[in-house]
Amino acid sequence: MTDSKFDVVVIGGGSTGTAVARDCAMRGLRTLLLERDDIASATVGTCAGMISSGLKYRDEPDIMKMCSTEVVYWNHIARHIVMKNPILAPLLDLSDAASDSSYMESYSEHVEERDVPAMMFLTPDATLEIEPMLHPEIIASVYYEEYFIDPFRLCLLQALDARNHGAEIRTYCEVIDFEINDKQEIEGVIFYNRVFGTTERVTTKLVVNAAGPWAHKVAKSAKEELHIRLNKGAHVIFDRRIVNTGITVKAMDGRWVYLFPHENTTLLGTTALDTWEDPDTLVASFDEIEYLLQSMETVLPSIREARIIRTMTGVRPLVPDFKVPERNVTRGYRIVDHGENDGTKGLLSFLGGKLVTCRHMAEAVTDLVCEKLGKDIACTTHEKPLPGNEDDVDIIALSKEYDISLHALERMRARRGTEMLKVLEMTKEHPEWKTTICTCEPIIEAEIRLSIREEFPQTLNDLRRRLRLGTGPCQGTFCTYKAASILSEELGLAGDDFLVDILDFRAERWKGIRQSMRGEQLAQEELAQGMYACVGNLDQSDVDYDLKPWEEGH
Amino acid sequence: MDENEAFEYVKSTLKKEKITPYHSDELEIVKSIGACINCGLCINHCPVVASVGLDRFSGPRSIAVELSRSPPEFWATADKVYLCTGCGTCREVCPKNVNIPEIVNIVRANIFEHRPDLVPKGLMIVKEIIEEHNLAFEPWEDKEEKEESRDMRLERLGIPYIPDVVKENAEVLFYPGCQAEERAQEVREAAKAILDYFDVDYTLLDEFSCCSLPSHLMGDAKTARNLAHQLKGKVKKLGVKKVVTTCAGCTSNLADLSVRDEWGAPAYHLLEYLVEEIGFEKLADALKKVAKPNDVHVSVHDPCHLIRHTSRQVMEHALNILRLMPGVRVTESVEHDNCCGGGGMVSFHASEVANSVVQENMMALEKTGAERLVTPCPLCTAQIENNLFKSGSSIEVDDLTVFIAQRLPKKE
Repeated sequence: MTDSKFDVVVIGGGSTGTAVARDCAMRGLRTLLLERDDIASATVGTCAGMISSGLKYRDEPDIMKMCSTEVVYWNHIARHIVMKNPILAPLLDLSDAASDSSYMESYSEHVEERDVPAMMFLTPDATLEIEPMLHPEIIASVYYEEYFIDPFRLCLLQALDARNHGAEIRTYCEVIDFEINDKQEIEGVIFYNRVFGTTERVTTKLVVNAAGPWAHKVAKSAKEELHIRLNKGAHVIFDRRIVNTGITVKAMDGRWVYLFPHENTTLLGTTALDTWEDPDTLVASFDEIEYLLQSMETVLPSIREARIIRTMTGVRPLVPDFKVPERNVTRGYRIVDHGENDGTKGLLSFLGGKLVTCRHMAEAVTDLVCEKLGKDIACTTHEKPLPGNEDDVDIIALSKEYDISLHALERMRARRGTEMLKVLEMTKEHPEWKTTICTCEPIIEAEIRLSIREEFPQTLNDLRRRLRLGTGPCQGTFCTYKAASILSEELGLAGDDFLVDILDFRAERWKGIRQSMRGEQLAQEELAQGMYACVGNLDQSDVDYDLKPWEEGH
Repeated sequence: MDENEAFEYVKSTLKKEKITPYHSDELEIVKSIGACINCGLCINHCPVVASVGLDRFSGPRSIAVELSRSPPEFWATADKVYLCTGCGTCREVCPKNVNIPEIVNIVRANIFEHRPDLVPKGLMIVKEIIEEHNLAFEPWEDKEEKEESRDMRLERLGIPYIPDVVKENAEVLFYPGCQAEERAQEVREAAKAILDYFDVDYTLLDEFSCCSLPSHLMGDAKTARNLAHQLKGKVKKLGVKKVVTTCAGCTSNLADLSVRDEWGAPAYHLLEYLVEEIGFEKLADALKKVAKPNDVHVSVHDPCHLIRHTSRQVMEHALNILRLMPGVRVTESVEHDNCCGGGGMVSFHASEVANSVVQENMMALEKTGAERLVTPCPLCTAQIENNLFKSGSSIEVDDLTVFIAQRLPKKE
């Protein structure tokens, strides 16, 4: 058992947890972040990355205002991982238009500060010129713009920035217990290190529980009851940008669903189902996939012909408003101070929230933490940029200097901004590390090595979250072995660990592929099977590997 | 903002985000790319990859799975996509029929619109020539000099001069293509001589204009559509029933345009026209009438725009016609259908790549022992002829149209 002292321990490495760790560290607090799995490995890793204007929440003007302000901050501190999406909401009949007018007004209230236009109507001809795949009988469309962020890089950059400011970031460390004294004050946190199989303990008086859909379970370890409304959301992912702009449409149940170009893919989402399942093993159901496809088909009849590469599924940790539909649950957040209600002193739990407001949530809870510590330090997370945002990058000049393709560099820039220079520097000594490892993204070997050395991944799945490894049309058919051998070399993994990690990575890909497998992706899977079973003999491997719940048994 | 102002605003945002909405007639092409399974079969067949390596040109697979996935990032493919010769070998070997050559043109069109600074300079020069003259080559300044050059060529090759004819309601429009119009004039004249020999009722254009393929290939989509529109007008006005050309690139492009723009007049390569409309019998009769033909040992090069963008049957026609010729012996080169390297506008801006690709063809050609290479495309002719000359080879190159015209007897 190790023993060290922290001002605050943050539980959870999602968007909120990493934002809290960053804020606490920037205010000079001795900070430890404990994540049971990897950074952005659950809820935030399955979202569309929209840093939303909050237009769906017109009944909550404060939330809309907050969203808008936060969008401005993201564009200031993380512009290298932010993209703008023009969006069309095509209308098939006049009743659609009438029901949308209040959205249009509330959306338009804060447009100036976000530097986007007010919502506007387009003629059918103009709409079809912008998106010829739309239904030819649309009567008009509403146009608006939203910003999107890379949710994986956002969380990782927040974690790295926290570390740069002195925080300790520990992944694969699962909190299993709290030490609570007779005065019901927290004195320590006990956690299980999943990499080394050891139990460790740290001293702290303050814990921020940002465990998202596991927040109630973490609270339970402190014998606290925390009510939460868990809500499942699924996305269908297409192989490339299949539409020119984002498309939103009212689904058959009146909810809004969307088709958003995201990085070099397109996301169709999302569903909303109250859930009591284990967030770790949740997969998209046939009903969810059909709900999304059929809803989008009403305005985009050919959507089913496009290539679906996989689905992804996550759980929203909503505030416990019950007896209302999911869409009427507040998108605001709550900080539960358990000590305020005769509960455990020093335990603060988050409920609700959104990706776009994670920085705001962190500021609020860090204010509270500072107050409890008797410190008065101002928040600067909205002013100081995240790593890589400092300057523009001249891709064309770098391509000439390092003799690496423009596109590989542009994709690297989208992940790292100015920090990409560190990767390029490595190729000076090792020109052979310019080799492309993942052909779809693409990713060169030097970036994989840099990520392993500086961004604390333990597995191929962690590399995927950091680099988009294996997320393209071939879903890791060609990069898995190559990346695994680099990971093994850098981390000194033994042969069995190497194979188990490959099996884990394939299983995780399969988790998303299996549910939506159809059309062109069937051919891809045949090839992947040929690669891993017929050539790699992985199905005959005798390593100690337990099939995942979503993998079919022997 | 009214709806028109709104549309203008949206267009300006799309421009800022570097998005050119796919045109409805491009959707099939975009969809075909979604079928790529990253198998890499194409890489082993791509002539550019084979000659310059994957580091220089990342190959058709990378175009499908990597470079063509996100329009806002198309600009960052400018160091790769201009090296594709558009030969179509990848599409031919692809188990999923992914239309790489056409997605390349879509990507290039995006770069042309959003980042013209990244379009190779050599292509921008061609663009300016096309803009000024509606021709892919700078026209002769002096008409007389042009005619002198033509007459010298005809005299050297022993091809009769047939005066130009322009008339309405002819059966056939003969469309020589820019290269034969301005550079390889002997091809234009040879075709006229052949058509005249077989009494074909044909006309030329009153004012020749480019078929639009070079603009399409360099990504100048707007000029391409304008030129195509212009040409359709001329074809319609002349009232011809068929269009016949001697250029491989024009053949495939005119065939596509005639369908896309509903010309009501199908396009043929002269070889197709000879076989399908004149027939082997008449051809054989004519070719046998030559009194003392010289024995000649030839090999054949298949232009990509005929075999992969039109039909492999065209080159079967070519071989069958050659077999009818007394004294002509044909030895097939193992690389008869390898790209000459000059396609896709590559020879206009990266001649070192084009010239590297053609080395394969030249080595295989030497092995045939042939003394002459014939090919039914003035662009392939120029590309291979230049490189053979530079290497000091004694093999001569003829456009197949010229070769046929030379072996026709004098008209009675």
